[in-house]
Amino acid sequence: MVSSTVDHMVAVTVFLAATLLFIGLFNQTIQTAVIYQRHRAISTKASDLLDNMLLTPGIPIDWGQNDDLPTGFGLQDPEFTQYKISSFSLMRLNSASGTAVYYPKTGMTYSNITIGTKNFLLVSETSALNYTTALDLLGIRNQYGFQLSFNPIITVSIIEEQAEDPLRLRIEAYGTGFPLAHARVTYCLISVSLGGSHPDYIVDYGTAVTAEDGSVTLEFADIQSSTSTYSIIAYVHAGGLLGVGYHERVSMEEQYVIPLIDDISEGRVLIAHSFDIEYDDPPNAEVKYNATLVYLTEDFNLREMPLENAYGHVNSGEGFPYEVINIPTDTPGILIITYKKSTVEGGLVMMPWGISSLAFPVVFGGDPSIREWVATDIRQIMVGGVTYQAKIALWDLEGYQVVD
Amino acid sequence: MMRTIEVLVVIIIITGAFIGASFFAVLPGPRQVSPMNLRRLSYTTLQLLDSNYDLSIAAFDTDNATIWQELQVALSASLPPNVIYNLTVYNIGTSSSGIELYDPKFTIANAENLGASSDAASYLAASSNVTFNVIPEKIGEQSGGSTLYILNCSDANGWWITGYTAQSLAQDMYKLLSPYFKDTIMVQNTAELGQILAGTPLNGELLQNAVVINTYGEAVPIPNAYCTTPYSDNSYARYSYELGQIVSQYNWTWASIVGYPFYYVSNTAVFETEQNDWGIYGMRRTSTGGLNAFLQGLDNHSYNYDSDWITSDVGVVTLTNDAKYYSNYYGIYPSEFQTSTRALSNSILSSYHLSVGLNVFNPVGNYLPGSLYSHVASGSTSTTGVFLALGLTRTPDIRLTGLSLLTYYKPRLYRSEYTTYGTSRLVILQLGFLGAE
Repeated sequence: MVSSTVDHMVAVTVFLAATLLFIGLFNQTIQTAVIYQRHRAISTKASDLLDNMLLTPGIPIDWGQNDDLPTGFGLQDPEFTQYKISSFSLMRLNSASGTAVYYPKTGMTYSNITIGTKNFLLVSETSALNYTTALDLLGIRNQYGFQLSFNPIITVSIIEEQAEDPLRLRIEAYGTGFPLAHARVTYCLISVSLGGSHPDYIVDYGTAVTAEDGSVTLEFADIQSSTSTYSIIAYVHAGGLLGVGYHERVSMEEQYVIPLIDDISEGRVLIAHSFDIEYDDPPNAEVKYNATLVYLTEDFNLREMPLENAYGHVNSGEGFPYEVINIPTDTPGILIITYKKSTVEGGLVMMPWGISSLAFPVVFGGDPSIREWVATDIRQIMVGGVTYQAKIALWDLEGYQVVD
Repeated sequence: MMRTIEVLVVIIIITGAFIGASFFAVLPGPRQVSPMNLRRLSYTTLQLLDSNYDLSIAAFDTDNATIWQELQVALSASLPPNVIYNLTVYNIGTSSSGIELYDPKFTIANAENLGASSDAASYLAASSNVTFNVIPEKIGEQSGGSTLYILNCSDANGWWITGYTAQSLAQDMYKLLSPYFKDTIMVQNTAELGQILAGTPLNGELLQNAVVINTYGEAVPIPNAYCTTPYSDNSYARYSYELGQIVSQYNWTWASIVGYPFYYVSNTAVFETEQNDWGIYGMRRTSTGGLNAFLQGLDNHSYNYDSDWITSDVGVVTLTNDAKYYSNYYGIYPSEFQTSTRALSNSILSSYHLSVGLNVFNPVGNYLPGSLYSHVASGSTSTTGVFLALGLTRTPDIRLTGLSLLTYYKPRLYRSEYTTYGTSRLVILQLGFLGAE
């Protein structure tokens, strides 16, 4: 009787222990499968969301060219179909890559994309569309988070190999997976002249072809001095791909002008002194400037658009207001501003009007690095004739195993 | 002891079940769980390569090694480094029995096998030697009369076209509809309007069966000759009566693009110091009597001033299935949802011998937000005048007027065949991942 009871107790204990163990094991398998399904759903959502953003222009369709908040989010260029994206809608996205810039003289903060040291795209916070608004417009707030990035497919690097007599520059063109061999290069060298009452520039054009490694070396005999100021813009194109690269050398690094986009619909750009942004208590230091808007023609020449108030001077510190210029066009272009302090100290800054004219990259949205699972998808797109890759990173803010 | 053995047996069975279940419940790898959409990547890559027609040129020049080398460099440069590809160009042919055949002409690839998880997209490249045309049938070409008049009078102002000018709407209308008519005449001023109202063509065109589009919204231009009695009676309602009679006489189709038709008359020279009660000079308010007078004239009633309001605010309205179908056919895509604050009462149908030739918007109760009305006089079988009234609120979408007229007349589109032998080539780009099975 006793042995039977002991047998019974041992059997029940072992059975219960085994049952609990197996419930745990089966549960783990089922949980893993459920998580896999959720991840698959996020992946599908990422693809759909990316197409939604890229294949609709938003409401109103021209929201990229005014300062009003859109009522529908979309980035397609309203004048085209398929994956052709508006250069101006991208310009209105609040950049997640650069630190916002505060300008005390307007009391405003500016979304910041700065490439190199002298190429700026600073858009006022009243014109820029923020991430939260985009989530609301897409109807995914508190459900999903995303980061949208637009990077040029062709990276064009320009390296100064020899500074003077002659100036020697090496241009390298790379795709996302391969050097761009035998590609045609069309370039324009902008040489800044500081001798007149206001800084000015002249443009020289040329063409070349890249070698097997995607590079080509150019020589400019006219640049005799290592202190002369210039900028070069190179367009590399092959097989339907187009990339843009630029490089500049200035003779005055510290004092320069910074263009700030104040109102997109009116094309109003403020010309600020760099000291006003870099110093809390800026010293006085006047610089003269000459602003020109150029846009790219089909044969890769730059065509000038006349600007009112193109010449001026700005100073830093209290009592010296910023200057204002108005860009009179809805066509993407480049604002070139030459500046000078003296006949030997000066330089040049550039600002794209529409991100494609200088192939600026754009990052918009949240930070995916702290998320547990991020689905990504990519599309090949055109922005104002320049080839870009659009990438979305999407993560879930609801459900199991979500880090927020 | 026996029970312990039984339990051990049960444990062995459950273990077997778990192993068996685990064997069949194979979880997919991360690549299958969150795949990159290779089909869309492939499609967008093909579009990119053809953005300057490089792909189309290469597809028809498969013997040109230079072009294909450049294309392969571009293809390799545009794809992520872990993506492998196979691009094949097919010639499109037809067998003797009429079946389409796809014959591979040229292939470039950077891998022998793309694996089972690969995906592909196709793209139809057109030959640069071939132009694909769409030739529209001319409205009224068979029945006689294929004239489109677009009111573009420089000496008149519009109302309820806020944000546009009548001239800009006229230009848009010209671009949209002129291919469907033999003669398209822009009526440049009220004097020219007076000339056609008097029955004299402007450029030898046929007046009979013409279509007249009034781009001035709720206003209608009035020539100097009509700015006198008797047309000025009842704030120029009598002029609308005259218009109705002329529409009936020449069997015109009169198109009102927005709002309450014939609510104002405009002539900037005659009404230079007068305004429409809303601050727009060069205009006089006719009010509701204008539309009633027009319908009386259309149905050849004797003139009797009637100021009854015959429209209603019916809110959001939707395009009819007919309009949506032809929206696709003609490639005109206005919003399916519109707001109608001037929907016409269907009581006008019996009062003025009108029948609905086309409902552009679905009726709401007894009101018609946008319709084409055909007038067939009592005792007659032939149509004498057509009236398009889009009773929408401002500001007008001029494409709706174009869509309404095309849906009513249904001119055919003759498209050239895209798959004609030698005119197109099929390009398929298949993408896979490095290392995928």
